[in-house]
Amino acid sequence: MDMATSRVAGGDNAARTKSRSRLISLCVNGEWHEVAVKPRNMLIEVIRDTIGLTGSKASCESGTCGACTMLVEDRPVLGCITLALECDGKRIETVEGLADGEKLSPIQEAFLDQGAVQCGFCTPGMLISATALLRDKPKPTREEINKALEGNLCRCTGYNAIVDAVMQASGQGGVKAVMK
Amino acid sequence: MSELNYVGKSMKRKDGPDKVTGKAVYTQDVKLPNTLIGRILRSPHAHARILRIDTSRAKALSGVKAVITVEDTKGIKHGFVETPRYPPDQEVLARGKVVHVGEEIAAVAAVDQITAQKALGLIDIEWEILPAVFDPEEAMKQGAPEIHPSHPKAPGKHSNIGGNTETEWGDVEKGFAESHYVREDRFECQLRTHGYLEPHVTLAHWESDKLNVWTSSMGVFVKRAKLAKVLDLPYSSVRIHKTYVGGTFGGKIDLYSHEYCASRLSMITGRPVQITASREEIFSAYRHAQPLILEIKTGVKKDGTIVAQRIRAINNAGAFRGSGVVVIFLAWGFTMIPYRIPNLKYEGFSVYTNHTVRAPQRGHGAPKVRFAIESQMDMIAEALGIDPITIRLRNAREPGEQLPNGDNTHNGGLAACVALAAEKSDLLAKFGRDRKSPPKGTIRRGIGIGTSAYMGGTLIYPNGSAVIVKMNDDGSAIVLTGAIDIGQGSETVISQIVAEELSIGMDDVKIISADTDVTPQDIGAWISGMTYVTGNAARQAAGNAREKLLQVAAEKMGVPAENLLTKDKVVYHRLNPELKMTYREIIAASVATHRGDTIIGEGFWRTMRDEPTHPSLATTKGRWTENYAFSAQVAEVEVDIETGEARLVKALTVHDCGFPINPALVKGQIDGQISMAIGHAFMEEVLTKDGYTRNPNWLDYRMPTIHNMAISEDADVITEQYRVGQPYRTKEVGEGLISGILAAMGNAVYDATGVRLHSTPFSAEKILAGLRAIEYAAKNPKPGEKIRA
Amino acid sequence: MILFDFDYERPDTMEDAVALLGRAGERARALAGGTDLLPSMRMENIKPELLVSLGTIEPREPELLADGSIRIDALSRLASLENSGLLRSKVPMLTQSIHVVGGNQIRQMGTLGGNLCQETRCMELDQKHDYQFVAPCYKRGGDLCYPFPQNKRNVCWSVYMSDIAPALIALDAQLEIIGETGIRHIRVEELFTRDGLKPLKLGQAELLRAVIIPPTPRGFSWGFHKSTVRGGLEFGMVVIAVALRLAEDGKTCADARIVIGAVREGPVRPSAAERSLKGAPLDEKLLVQTAAAASKEVNPLPHHGFTKRHLMDNIRVYLRRTMVQALEREHGTERSD
Repeated sequence: MDMATSRVAGGDNAARTKSRSRLISLCVNGEWHEVAVKPRNMLIEVIRDTIGLTGSKASCESGTCGACTMLVEDRPVLGCITLALECDGKRIETVEGLADGEKLSPIQEAFLDQGAVQCGFCTPGMLISATALLRDKPKPTREEINKALEGNLCRCTGYNAIVDAVMQASGQGGVKAVMK
Repeated sequence: MSELNYVGKSMKRKDGPDKVTGKAVYTQDVKLPNTLIGRILRSPHAHARILRIDTSRAKALSGVKAVITVEDTKGIKHGFVETPRYPPDQEVLARGKVVHVGEEIAAVAAVDQITAQKALGLIDIEWEILPAVFDPEEAMKQGAPEIHPSHPKAPGKHSNIGGNTETEWGDVEKGFAESHYVREDRFECQLRTHGYLEPHVTLAHWESDKLNVWTSSMGVFVKRAKLAKVLDLPYSSVRIHKTYVGGTFGGKIDLYSHEYCASRLSMITGRPVQITASREEIFSAYRHAQPLILEIKTGVKKDGTIVAQRIRAINNAGAFRGSGVVVIFLAWGFTMIPYRIPNLKYEGFSVYTNHTVRAPQRGHGAPKVRFAIESQMDMIAEALGIDPITIRLRNAREPGEQLPNGDNTHNGGLAACVALAAEKSDLLAKFGRDRKSPPKGTIRRGIGIGTSAYMGGTLIYPNGSAVIVKMNDDGSAIVLTGAIDIGQGSETVISQIVAEELSIGMDDVKIISADTDVTPQDIGAWISGMTYVTGNAARQAAGNAREKLLQVAAEKMGVPAENLLTKDKVVYHRLNPELKMTYREIIAASVATHRGDTIIGEGFWRTMRDEPTHPSLATTKGRWTENYAFSAQVAEVEVDIETGEARLVKALTVHDCGFPINPALVKGQIDGQISMAIGHAFMEEVLTKDGYTRNPNWLDYRMPTIHNMAISEDADVITEQYRVGQPYRTKEVGEGLISGILAAMGNAVYDATGVRLHSTPFSAEKILAGLRAIEYAAKNPKPGEKIRA
Repeated sequence: MILFDFDYERPDTMEDAVALLGRAGERARALAGGTDLLPSMRMENIKPELLVSLGTIEPREPELLADGSIRIDALSRLASLENSGLLRSKVPMLTQSIHVVGGNQIRQMGTLGGNLCQETRCMELDQKHDYQFVAPCYKRGGDLCYPFPQNKRNVCWSVYMSDIAPALIALDAQLEIIGETGIRHIRVEELFTRDGLKPLKLGQAELLRAVIIPPTPRGFSWGFHKSTVRGGLEFGMVVIAVALRLAEDGKTCADARIVIGAVREGPVRPSAAERSLKGAPLDEKLLVQTAAAASKEVNPLPHHGFTKRHLMDNIRVYLRRTMVQALEREHGTERSD
């Protein structure tokens, strides 16, 4: 930081070194990656384009739809309005990290059982938001489910099946699989 | 063996595991080395002449690899409709003038987004601003700014007519004269958008005289046809690859300029070019649905029987023909299917305005038409003192009824749907309750019904689907289908059919889909016919393979093929199950004794095989479909009469989808349509000003969130059956169920409050204004005023 | 995706951050949660050359001070405040106002200080201007106003949308502001200029460091409401925060603070309406009158597709309901909804 401070101290100097790439470390789904990023690069760009994990989706790219939701230090954040630099040294989880090898997580299974997946484009973000909820509150109420998923838009399912999936995954309400 | 193992069951999605693990590849996930980024220069004016365009500064920018304008194209036009009456009317880039904000003028390919963006800023254009017009009724007036010349065959007194539909039967004037009660109403709907989560995106790579394209679409063969045409390439030089598609709802059928531009820029640079539309571009420059104005005059007998109906539809079609001329044809169709109308006169106008071009959207006009008709139906019923169920049953078309266009309702179950909906919702007991005896507090509950009907698998290019089933040595099967899974579950449904017909497991079926070079032609996921048309092709292909298996088995076993049956990849003798051969053995035998025949089944299907082509958009003559799906939907709403806020509490959908191949997927379509209809009814509107979009984002364009779901119940009036080896009839279920529920919500708001809304959305502000008007009228009665003549 | 380059610094302390901002001048912006700033940068409505990230500065947990005040670090994430037991027990109105901000991800990312320092909003402004509304409006340094073409002066009628600010004003909260010359304190309502062009009275090199909420007096009660079309995710159509203090008799209003948000360039206190409550018994008739008067007094700006008339209707009904909610809460008769 001291170096940085001295650099902005002189305006000319700042202009010359503007927007250089920096090396950051991200622990994505348990694997460390060292990547060069520019200040303007968003987390979603780095995860999808540099690291190559394309499960998280870029949809509105303005923080309104939730398709790019990923966990940063366990918090569900929007990758499209998070600077990658802000995540240096942090633990990140994406949809690719939810299954344990071939074994799907209960919320992934529940999405399939309940017909909570149609086009699938909101699904990765939706699963991440639901995962964060269930880690925090293993038996969420309907209202808590709504509050946890209100930032994830879905145009296909009408949300009912998604709520049922969260209920199934949390073992509540006697929700049984509708698809086999 | 009549018991079905897979068909008719809620089998899990074939694409499900890939979609919940992030492995499913969408177009934005396809990465090619050395890819250039393309961006499009769009018009900042609604109507202006391009006097001069200079791209030299952009071309000179370091990192820019190509810049194209209309001068770099072959000048070949395209259109959603391409018929002799309605020839293609749009170029891929603007020539000479722009007619809407956001119209594509030029495109650049550069090494990255920033460079591409900078290059757009270096394209110099000299404009001459022209007067613009946005309101369709203003645009129709003589002397309005002319966007394109009126269609040569359109009625002369109007301006800016892109097309019109006229039809009539019986004698409406005589019908009105003979009617006991006649009323005339005008209805309007707001501008809404599709709201697919996946943005428009195209990756094109010209390599070895072949254009490889990945694009978010609703039908790869339609895309190939249009793209090859505007590029002037043979179809064999254009390959559209399969990708998963993140939602479409009608908005990804047409050829879009960015698809051409990515392709052309790749051909020029020899490098892959990707163009992604931003959400703002999608909102402000791409295609929305069509806001209709409907004027309806209806005459009925004392008992509510419709005698005559006259309908005038005006479509604000935007700046090119788009699907505007289709909507005014369909608006007639959605009028005449559910109820008998002995005398009808219909005229529809598709009017050019300086708005963005319009595309089909789920329902393609039906929500607006059914909202209008079903609202008026309730008004008529009230005036006559008839309940909403009786008046609908009185007019509902029967099974086997002949329609004016020559179609037949076959086993259509509208009356059964209405009756079951009434019974399950207890509508007649609830109807009018809160108006008769208002409860304490400010919440009023209301109930309403709406009906709808939708066609399936109508003839339009490519008209038919073919499917190939390749047997593997071990008895499993590879299915080649052009069907594209946009989320509706086509790959799952096709797998169920093939597994059923071949008596193999769901896991034995692997689908190769939606690749124009590899898979046979397919109608695409956009005319509500995939389960019927492609599904029957798949059934036929699998059946064809099964017959070959049985034939070889019969030869080997020395028994007639009709004495054999199949189960779990084994052929048995019907009477002596000990006599059997596995598929593996049969296929080995076929290769050995049938000159290497590995057993490949072929199937193909087309609706209405006696009909030469689709009906006339202008005159409505010609048949439309053999698969009318009917539905009745009930809405229960709550309205806060102090704030005007209304919400859907419960929806009931009773539908006749023929035979449900996968009931859970049917339910998924219903729930999604209820949610979209909630958006239409209470929340969504693209707000525009002078052709600019004021709310090009999801904060201010209010698509339903998880807070806005309602209880959604459904019941299926099953009127068809599926039998192995027999053609089956499924009907439309993916877009017909968005309309009755919209109308039902309008009727339910009325039931709750007495406020009859003639336009959507049913905003709090409109409901409050309606309540005030009622209050005012109650305080200031006008002597001698009739209810409404 | 942001399509211009900028520099980035990550100081370890607020003091360093302020020093950096001071040296860099107008070309720098502070970055906290980023949920308001980064979308504005993507739209290129704000184009800083330097972002000073506050990301490494760990916020302190909310603390109860000796005098009964509560001190909340401005860098606290909204979600962590939403779950704070201390806040829920001492200032539930604040918890409620945080609960309705944005969607869950926004609350996970956004900070208290960032929420208070958010830009004012206007549909024609909050988008890219590549080909839409290209000519700059007053706020973008031009000389026109898209939503109010009759506005010929250099005035911006964009709307301040924080859900939390009205609650804090009702609670008579203070802000601790750190600048190059040290710390200063202001009341939250003093943060606002009422000028859409520059809505906050905050120097270029000043940062919110903490919010301090005084202890609530005896007889204190509160009501809070946010009107939206969808019940979540979006910015408010109207935000209402009410703090009442009842006299010993449990009926007479000793003090009233009414704050209406999301309808003007900053939160509005309808002072005439507040005065009409003071010293009067809070009966249904007075509440109805006060709500109606307040809806006129705040003079809402039409925004986001809502007409002025509808906003006034909404304030009239929900202010009354919110005041009733406060009374019921005080009397322990609150409905459990």
